[in-house]
Amino acid sequence: MALIAQLLLPFFGGFAALLAARTGRDRERWVAIAAMGATLVALLAGVVFGDDGRWLAFYRADWAPSFGIQVLLAMDGLTAAMLAISSGLGIISVFISWHVTHRSALFHAAICWTVAAANGVFLSFDLLIFAFFWELMIVPAFLLIALWGHGDREAAAIKFLVFNAVAGLGLLAAVFWMGATSDPVTFDAFVLAESDYSKTAQILLLLGFALAFMVKLPVPPFHAWLPDAHTQAPTAGSILLAGLLLKTGAYGLFRFPPMLFPEGLTALAGWGMALGAFGVVYGGILACGQTDAKRLVAYTSVAHMSIVLMGVCGGVHFALVGAGVEMIAHAFSSSALFLLIGALQHRTGTRDLRELGGLQKTAPAFATSFALFFAAALAMPGTANFLGEALVITGMFQVNWIFAAIALVSLVVSVVYATRLIGGIAFGAPKPAVQNVPDLHRYELWPIAILGLCALVFGLFPQLLIGWLWTAVEAALEPLIVVQP
Amino acid sequence: MTGVSFLLAIAAGLFAAGLFGVLARRTILMQLISLEIMLAGPALAFVAAGAHHGMVEGTAMFLIVLALAAAEVALGLAIYLQLRRHAGDGDADAARQLRG
Amino acid sequence: MLAYLLLLVPTPPLAGFVLLALDPYRLDRRAVRAAAIVAGCAPLAVIAPMAIAHLTGLWGDQIAPIFTLYVGSYEVALAVGLDTLSAVTALTVAFVSACVMIYALDYMSGARNADLRRFFALMNLFQAGMLSMVLAADSITFFLGWELMGLCSFFLISYNMTSPRAFAAGQKAFVITRIADAALLAGLLLLFLEAGSVRLSELIPAGAAIDTARGPLIAALLLIGAMGKSAQFPFHTWLPTAMAGPTPVSALLHSATMVAAGAVLLARFAPVMAANDGVAAATAIAGVVTALFGAASAVAQTDVKRLLAYSSISQIGYMLIAVGVGAPAVAMAHFVVHALFKSLLFMASGVLSHAGAGGTSIAALRGTARRAPIAFASFAAGAASLAGLPLVTAGWWSKEAILASAFEASWLGLAVWAVGLTAAALTAVYAFRPVFTALRAPETETPRGRESWLAVGPLVVLAVLALAGGLGVKPLTELLGGHPPHPALWVELAGASAALLGIAGSAALTFVPALADRVARARRLRAGLQMDARYYALLVRPYRRLVRRLSGGRGEWVERVVGRGRGAQGLERELEGAVRHARQPEGASSDPVGQATVVLGLWIWRALLLPFSPDRMDMAWMWGARGIGRAAERARRLQTGRVRDYALALAFGLAALLLIGWGMTWR
Repeated sequence: MALIAQLLLPFFGGFAALLAARTGRDRERWVAIAAMGATLVALLAGVVFGDDGRWLAFYRADWAPSFGIQVLLAMDGLTAAMLAISSGLGIISVFISWHVTHRSALFHAAICWTVAAANGVFLSFDLLIFAFFWELMIVPAFLLIALWGHGDREAAAIKFLVFNAVAGLGLLAAVFWMGATSDPVTFDAFVLAESDYSKTAQILLLLGFALAFMVKLPVPPFHAWLPDAHTQAPTAGSILLAGLLLKTGAYGLFRFPPMLFPEGLTALAGWGMALGAFGVVYGGILACGQTDAKRLVAYTSVAHMSIVLMGVCGGVHFALVGAGVEMIAHAFSSSALFLLIGALQHRTGTRDLRELGGLQKTAPAFATSFALFFAAALAMPGTANFLGEALVITGMFQVNWIFAAIALVSLVVSVVYATRLIGGIAFGAPKPAVQNVPDLHRYELWPIAILGLCALVFGLFPQLLIGWLWTAVEAALEPLIVVQP
Repeated sequence: MTGVSFLLAIAAGLFAAGLFGVLARRTILMQLISLEIMLAGPALAFVAAGAHHGMVEGTAMFLIVLALAAAEVALGLAIYLQLRRHAGDGDADAARQLRG
Repeated sequence: MLAYLLLLVPTPPLAGFVLLALDPYRLDRRAVRAAAIVAGCAPLAVIAPMAIAHLTGLWGDQIAPIFTLYVGSYEVALAVGLDTLSAVTALTVAFVSACVMIYALDYMSGARNADLRRFFALMNLFQAGMLSMVLAADSITFFLGWELMGLCSFFLISYNMTSPRAFAAGQKAFVITRIADAALLAGLLLLFLEAGSVRLSELIPAGAAIDTARGPLIAALLLIGAMGKSAQFPFHTWLPTAMAGPTPVSALLHSATMVAAGAVLLARFAPVMAANDGVAAATAIAGVVTALFGAASAVAQTDVKRLLAYSSISQIGYMLIAVGVGAPAVAMAHFVVHALFKSLLFMASGVLSHAGAGGTSIAALRGTARRAPIAFASFAAGAASLAGLPLVTAGWWSKEAILASAFEASWLGLAVWAVGLTAAALTAVYAFRPVFTALRAPETETPRGRESWLAVGPLVVLAVLALAGGLGVKPLTELLGGHPPHPALWVELAGASAALLGIAGSAALTFVPALADRVARARRLRAGLQMDARYYALLVRPYRRLVRRLSGGRGEWVERVVGRGRGAQGLERELEGAVRHARQPEGASSDPVGQATVVLGLWIWRALLLPFSPDRMDMAWMWGARGIGRAAERARRLQTGRVRDYALALAFGLAALLLIGWGMTWR
């Protein structure tokens, strides 16, 4: 039941928010918060009363038996972490969007629906339903960018839509192929994992899946939509993009290719790691060249998510668990940075690093928060980001030292862009734009505090995270180890 | 040429003369007169055919034709008067737009 | 269980950092200073009894596990521990940092616009990082402390927020040390994979036992890590510019403790270094080259802080020599002594600069001997220790031990000894230049200033230790498991005469105008052989160019490739819109790889759709539709509206009907 609630509560919460807006001021905000809060509580209940085995909770029901479509939901530690991030970031997005008044009801409904669709992606193991949620997720996010964005928002929204919809076709084609060739027809991932595809078929199917995941991740050269979407999106949109939508790509990559196509993944692992290594360096270098703070952070996302790709393709314990940790850590650090930059943009009207500066003088709490996530962005030990990167690098040393060396280069590049970011924002004499900037207020401070605590607690007590992810890592590795040479 | 054939030829001639008048004259009054002449042709043919076959229907049809001609003249004169009032003269071509 | 008290050593400064960083009560200046000083001195109070108990043999080696991380079959067991090396280094660090914190209370309060809260928060965080590094019993905690120091170093160098120079210096320091840190991380991770454990007690023997090519690789990576953090040639360029930070920062981070952490690292991993002869030799050579280079550059400096920075570079070079020739205990003895006299020199120079004409140039120190006599006396004591004034200073004992160890080591050691001796003479030359300058009469007479006891107290304590500490060098070396060398008498005499010769040279440089001019003109040497400019040309500029080439402009090339979309109708117009989208939006930079995908998509789109533009089938339908329109246009002309025309048509129609009827009667 807890699993169904993860889908239905935010989904109907969205409609409730639409209706509630007519009854009074700010009502839709509280309804959205209540819906996602209830989702969190349901998740907590599901985890606390969860089973001990492979899955914490499992749900199966027929939906369209003649086509073999089921509602097949399953949750393990990784899923639970993702679900917590999804609802948590949803609530945070509502709080930091208190200033949004234009079509506020639809805005909050879109946030709820994004959360609902992402939850569906995290939970579904019926591939057709998974693909359905995968496509569904694009719609509310598109609305968020297109309706409440800044600047050239239509172009950014269309770019986002085209990239993700086209990539979704790859996933859909692969899913249909798998369903159509199964006998009896089924889209059950666990059943399909048992079927013996030839190596060529595995590679082709994997390419279909990977296209969707790599565009969402995003890995160069499929990343062009991300900086635009991030810069033009409203703050809440940026947070959900960085913390949630990107993570669906990472999650999918982590979950399905090792499970369904172990042979194909082993065959393509070298290419995947090479692409990831390229992405790490390319994203880092591009981040160094940005003057727009949001674009800078967007390119660091490209670099960090490329590390996740490297980790998943590494196919050893360290690399996989590192990929898992990295994607969770990145959800905290990047969404916090987007939150801060969004708040800054709301106050000063600019994101241009050349026009900002001197925040330490005018808004010390702001600058301190920046410094905290600055440390996370450059993978300072003690933050979860370091844990993820160090684990992936360790795994790379086991697989291929060249990729490990490239990942180490990224540690240096990360210092360059991170100091550029904080230098442009916190240091220097206060520029005209940041004079009289009010410091962080309540509704901004506590989301920042929670995200910062998460980044630090998981960095200082990594066993919390690693133990939590371990069943998922083991399950992902099990089929891989069989086929690895 | 026997009597009936002669009469029918005269009737056809009357009809043709009337038709020529309708087509050739532009004045509505003259066209109305030509129409009457045209009607006279069939009327003569009805009477002649009735007499030839010894049947009374021919004469009855003649009476109907006369009534038709009377109604036609009444309408035609009304139209003529309207046209005179609007267009200033009795030219039928002036009314080709059929607009008030 | 008492071992868990070790956790209390880095905890107070960490708590101080958290308190000051979060600043929940809007603390006033007094509260900030109180919190900072309590947090800053508490580690000394905790570590001192423990370290002394350990060093006197009352308390054995301790280990306090923190927690264990399970990654599959690997166990990552984090712990802090106390052995002789960590006892000595932790005690030194705690003591020096307590002195610097007390000094900073006075020094920073005088500064204009001082953000005391931020300053002390970062200083406390630094203390926590450094202490957890020296106490670490596993490589992860070690690296955690190591990186925390780097972070604090960045923030403290660029403490003066409004100065772009300070920020650039901090950034440079951070990037260069991060390069070395990446190498260190690689080395530690490889060691971890080899040993299957992160405990230093298992890691180091396992590392020393590797007989594949990985052994030297790991040792070399560790050496690079140490050289970067310790600003050894050729990584040294960040340290002189790092002097943009406040003087207490220079005294604590950039001389006594953090910069010397590289030597601690190498001493810690000495068995790994010793197992790889080539890397050990490289360590010694790197050390001696740096020692000579640093000393020579220091001679040419005109700024007292930069002089001391080059001096730190040079002195840590000596420590590397000791590790390289297989005497890590001697290196650590020098680490302790160096920490004492170098922090003393920085702090005293800070007081002298305040007392002098302002600014940190050596020339500005003229006459300060009279204005701040206590500070001057302590500075002189520190300088004597640095120069290695024979017998009466600690510096002489530790430096002599290093040179003698090198002398006794091998033929390579002999060469190292000779160069090291030259460097020692140069050390004496630069060490006494500020002292002699301070003795000279000032250009304008000013009364003697008041010396605050907060600032001067630590100076006096340190000065006493810098002179008398020499007695402790030999026992310290033995405690650390080393064998104090017993060189021949002439070797010792050579060392002593080098120092004395150097002091004489220093006097000559200060008081003989011609020579002083030569020094003032030695611009190349002053700039550290212009390594900065070379790095800029070799690394920074190409990198910037790469960044600019990749992200410069807004991607106008897309239009050149795809074409602008020529016409203003149909698909071409849509294409123009798409190309506009493919270009980057306002304020964005170019992104070749990302845009390449977009361009490819547009190409495919064009290739697929342009053949259907215009659409032939559509054209056929449209032609038909237009044909009907034209026909209707023609048919319309029949409607003349003339009664006579219609009557004619009627007549023709009737005739035709009659003809048809007639025709149908034919049989």
